[in-house]
Amino acid sequence: MMRYHPLTILYRIYQFVKNNLIIALLLFVIKRDSDFWLFEYGRYAFLVIVVWRLIYIVWSWFYETYEWEERTFYLKEGIFTKNTSSIPFSKIQNVTRQTTIFHKVFRLTSITFETAMDGVDDAITFEVVSKKHADFLLKLVEVQTTEPDETNLKENQEGTELDGSESDVENPDPKIKQDNESKVVHFTPTKRDLWKASFLSFSYLAFIPLLGGLFDEIQSFLPEEKELDGLLDQFLASKWLILLLVVVGVAIAVAIGVTRTMIRYGKYEISSNNTHIFINRGVLNESYFSIEKQKVQGLEITQSFLKRIVGLAEVKLVSSVNPNSEQSAVDVNSLYPFLPMNQAHELIQQLLPGYHVESGMKRLPRKSLWIKLLRPSWFWLLATGALFYFKPRVFGLESAWWIISVILFVWIYINRILDYVHTQYLVTNDQLQWRRGGLTSRLFITKRQKVIEMSISQSFVQKKFHVASLSTVNRSSPIHVEGIEDVPVEFATSFHNWYLERHDEVQYHHIP
Amino acid sequence: MNDSVLENKLSPRAQKAWLISEVIGIVIGFIVLAVLFWLDFHFAWPVWIGWILIALTAYTVLDAVWSLIKPKYLYESWRYQVDEEYIQLSYGILKKEWVTVPIAKVQSISTRQGPILRIYQLREIKVETMGSSHAIPALDEQVAIQLKDTLAEYAKLKEVDE
Repeated sequence: MMRYHPLTILYRIYQFVKNNLIIALLLFVIKRDSDFWLFEYGRYAFLVIVVWRLIYIVWSWFYETYEWEERTFYLKEGIFTKNTSSIPFSKIQNVTRQTTIFHKVFRLTSITFETAMDGVDDAITFEVVSKKHADFLLKLVEVQTTEPDETNLKENQEGTELDGSESDVENPDPKIKQDNESKVVHFTPTKRDLWKASFLSFSYLAFIPLLGGLFDEIQSFLPEEKELDGLLDQFLASKWLILLLVVVGVAIAVAIGVTRTMIRYGKYEISSNNTHIFINRGVLNESYFSIEKQKVQGLEITQSFLKRIVGLAEVKLVSSVNPNSEQSAVDVNSLYPFLPMNQAHELIQQLLPGYHVESGMKRLPRKSLWIKLLRPSWFWLLATGALFYFKPRVFGLESAWWIISVILFVWIYINRILDYVHTQYLVTNDQLQWRRGGLTSRLFITKRQKVIEMSISQSFVQKKFHVASLSTVNRSSPIHVEGIEDVPVEFATSFHNWYLERHDEVQYHHIP
Repeated sequence: MNDSVLENKLSPRAQKAWLISEVIGIVIGFIVLAVLFWLDFHFAWPVWIGWILIALTAYTVLDAVWSLIKPKYLYESWRYQVDEEYIQLSYGILKKEWVTVPIAKVQSISTRQGPILRIYQLREIKVETMGSSHAIPALDEQVAIQLKDTLAEYAKLKEVDE
């Protein structure tokens, strides 16, 4: 029987205060004088809730315990309704360790073990824990998950033998697996990567509206001009000011962008050993993430329009990690959002030797382009209908509605043409790989055994063009659905047959 | 895509069962419309509501016609096949769907029977996986129960990496 660290109480109070600060400000500062019933009674209700929460946070701590036995965590909680849950270590999909500023102050950390069970409460979170104990828990879980894995490993080896090209070096021997010290660091960003990243992250574009606001502020300090002078004259008169503002604004924006990027992606390390992938990141809020290679369900390489120009890409792991876990400013599934393309491929090969980024993907036939262009865009029709009805004025332009409609139309069709250009597909041995997308393109790679469902669909029009759409489902939370549209029927059929050969890799065991 | 015709069809009585439920749906739809028209007349609602109601009626009539011919074609389009490894379904009139689910990924199997299906002694089989659920509608009761047992037997096999 173990209790959580006492500072958990403080941490929860801190979280509670953080989450409710805005409401408190609204009730007691901004709308202080309002006697609207919602605010009037809201204040009392809020106070009651705060008091109750504080009592509850302290009280419930005494009822929360955890223990482990035989490779299983047993958790107990609840003051009124007792709740017991048991989570076997083998169900743990990945581990996240986060050290926020709060934790730093007390030299503590937090650790979350995420599982892929179907329950609601499927993660074990130690919100506050000493670093030593976190290490201990990590070891406890890691060492012991390795044993039942041997069967998995065999399965993997069998699966990879099909490729032939699998190097023996990468094939882990179950005997040396316990040796977790043999971590290899695969990637740390260089100064140059970081500069590129900060210019790309474009977070400082958010500054532009602020700039506009600032300009409005300053305008009132400008010498009053005759009102009849009109907007343009005023604009020209303060030209120097605009210039100055733009320069200062851009400078501030760049500075903010760079600092943000440095803080988020500055300290970054991707490493792995035979069984796990580890990601360490963050300067202020440190986080550590580990996932078992076996539990990676697929890979995604995403390239936005800008990233394509500079040749960078983001690599994401498809797994059952909860993507919106609290406090994490960075997407947990992402390996690194600004990887040079060739390095991305290398990294994938090193981290997940079972996966290959193959070249020689097939492109869609020309008829697929026609069908993509012919398909009516319901979104555009609806938007144009709405625009026609409301005829909103933008920048004082009366004809704005059809200009917007035309821009939207062009935008949609550029995306469709690009989607045609980008769409490529390839199926090799036990791996499927396809790419699609308009301005942002995505390459998706997964293994046949990791696809838990597939479907083909063919609309009436597609039938005439002799094409079909494919979709696959991978495990994730929620499930990860991938699809590719307007592929030739021959490919769809062969893909289906390929999927029916799943038993080549999959090993079964019988549930009594 | 015609080279992969699956083995089994639904019970032919499915057409009648579907037709009845469609007819019930149509009748309810028209009753609702009639009530709306009466309300419109009685409370003298704005003119544009009248137009919307007329549009709705036109749509309902078209939909009703479609509903009456749909069961036949839907029945014709429905095929399923179950073996030790996969459940395969294919269906759809204007848009065809072929779904393939490995049985090892199935998490629950159940049969269901509503009042209309009961009249025709039919059952629906529902198969749920991690993230989706599929149904084989309208099978003969005997066939459905047998299929459920077969599926349950096959589904005991799980894949190692779970």
